[in-house]
Amino acid sequence: MLVIGIESSAHTFGAGIVDDGKILASEKEMFKIGTTGMIPAEVAEFHVNNAADVISRALERAGIGYRDIEGIGYTRGPGLGPCLQVGCLSAKTLAKKLNVKIVPVNHGVGHIEVTRISAGLKDPIALYVSGGNSQILKISDKPFRHYRVLGETFDIGVGNMLDSFARELKLTPSWGSTVEKSALGGKYIEMPYSVKGMDFSFTGLLTKATSLIPEKKEDLCFSLQEAAFSMLAETAERAILLTNSQELCVCGGVAQNTRLKEMLGLMAKEHGVRFGFVEGALNADNGAMIAMVAERMLRNGFSVPVNECRTEQRYRVDRARVF
Amino acid sequence: MMIGEGAEARIYLERMFGTEVIVKLRGRKAYRIREMDETMRRRRTRKEAGIMLAAAKAGVPVPEIIAVGTFSMYMEKLDGTLLKDTRITARHMASAGSALALLHSSNMVHGDYTPANIMSTKQGIRIIDFGLADTTMDVEQKAVDLLLMKRAVSRTTYASFESAYAKNSRNAGDVLRQLAELERRGRYQTRTMMG
Repeated sequence: MLVIGIESSAHTFGAGIVDDGKILASEKEMFKIGTTGMIPAEVAEFHVNNAADVISRALERAGIGYRDIEGIGYTRGPGLGPCLQVGCLSAKTLAKKLNVKIVPVNHGVGHIEVTRISAGLKDPIALYVSGGNSQILKISDKPFRHYRVLGETFDIGVGNMLDSFARELKLTPSWGSTVEKSALGGKYIEMPYSVKGMDFSFTGLLTKATSLIPEKKEDLCFSLQEAAFSMLAETAERAILLTNSQELCVCGGVAQNTRLKEMLGLMAKEHGVRFGFVEGALNADNGAMIAMVAERMLRNGFSVPVNECRTEQRYRVDRARVF
Repeated sequence: MMIGEGAEARIYLERMFGTEVIVKLRGRKAYRIREMDETMRRRRTRKEAGIMLAAAKAGVPVPEIIAVGTFSMYMEKLDGTLLKDTRITARHMASAGSALALLHSSNMVHGDYTPANIMSTKQGIRIIDFGLADTTMDVEQKAVDLLLMKRAVSRTTYASFESAYAKNSRNAGDVLRQLAELERRGRYQTRTMMG
């Protein structure tokens, strides 16, 4: 089934095309964030200006025309309201025009599922780490099949923490990866470590690291990363042991970080657990992950009337049914 | 002989001075850098032992600590069954409730107060695994201890737990109010079948 997925929950407008679980195209346009962070209305305007172009590029890349589309998925949430609405409206317009079925997709489910499926995993502990989210999840069948949140951040996402710190250091975008590069050769300065069972928090760490500027940039970046990622590895390890899981995967924007993957790999190896992730761009926000989930939903006969398609800023991952 | 494994530590059954003892060892984690790893393991071991000693002093039934090393703790071996592996009686729950009240009254929280961490022995119940315990006056953290138990057992058994807790605790009112609040904003409260 040829499905197009549209993603616009934050700074990326993405359109992806999937056929039979295979990704045929994943095109995107990213809003360049200045020193002020993201102003939702500005980002939404950016999406409005790019939507049509990104969608046609995706079709071109997949070598198909509008009339070949058999189904549509869009990101219902979570995300920034005005941004989500641009994607939702684009998807609804396409659905009406082409007279095909449409489904709303949870953004987090998109990230996890594209990784789980591409890495060939069945029932992993999923560590979902991005700017806005940091959670540890596992599929549960009660009361319906969904990703149950085993642990999560009490405050901000780990990516947000890395970005905020990079801005304090006046590093250049894209901040998270700049922190990673700056951390090379750094020495460890003690940082707060905040874990409670399978939950964790990052603001204390951010405050402490910020208060230590102007210590050496390498040392601060190194210590910040080591502390934050150790917290994630420890809680993921606890989740694996508690649920007796044989598989682990990491997804979301921060999953692009090499050091995080190295730590998780070491931890997984110690327990003989299979560790999966996807390369590069599929970890960042993209339309292909939305298309992939949408195709599975549509194939299972799930769809929503166009007029009932909405967005929801706080659409929690554990409320989304998974197929 | 290893008899259990958690994210932080491994549990061994060993012989010492001719008797069986339980050893909780916080081993090295390959994923953590050495300086951080050693500090954390040392601090956590010391903290856990400290809380267990303080809990024992407050009258909470805990296994006796025989010795504390840098990264390890030697404890008395208990003969009994974990509540999660046995039929939980109202009596078990009443003891668990008053034990928690004693712990909270001395401003400590357990952090993982479930039937998996309470053992029924001939001499009564024993509370084990203080790995997530903390010293705090925070009403919310105390309420979390009750919430975990409430989620893990049946409604009727929980009732005997809560009433024993209320009878023996100094500020049960505040804690129970906070518990209601926690449940109201609970993580898994509302779910729809939306995509």
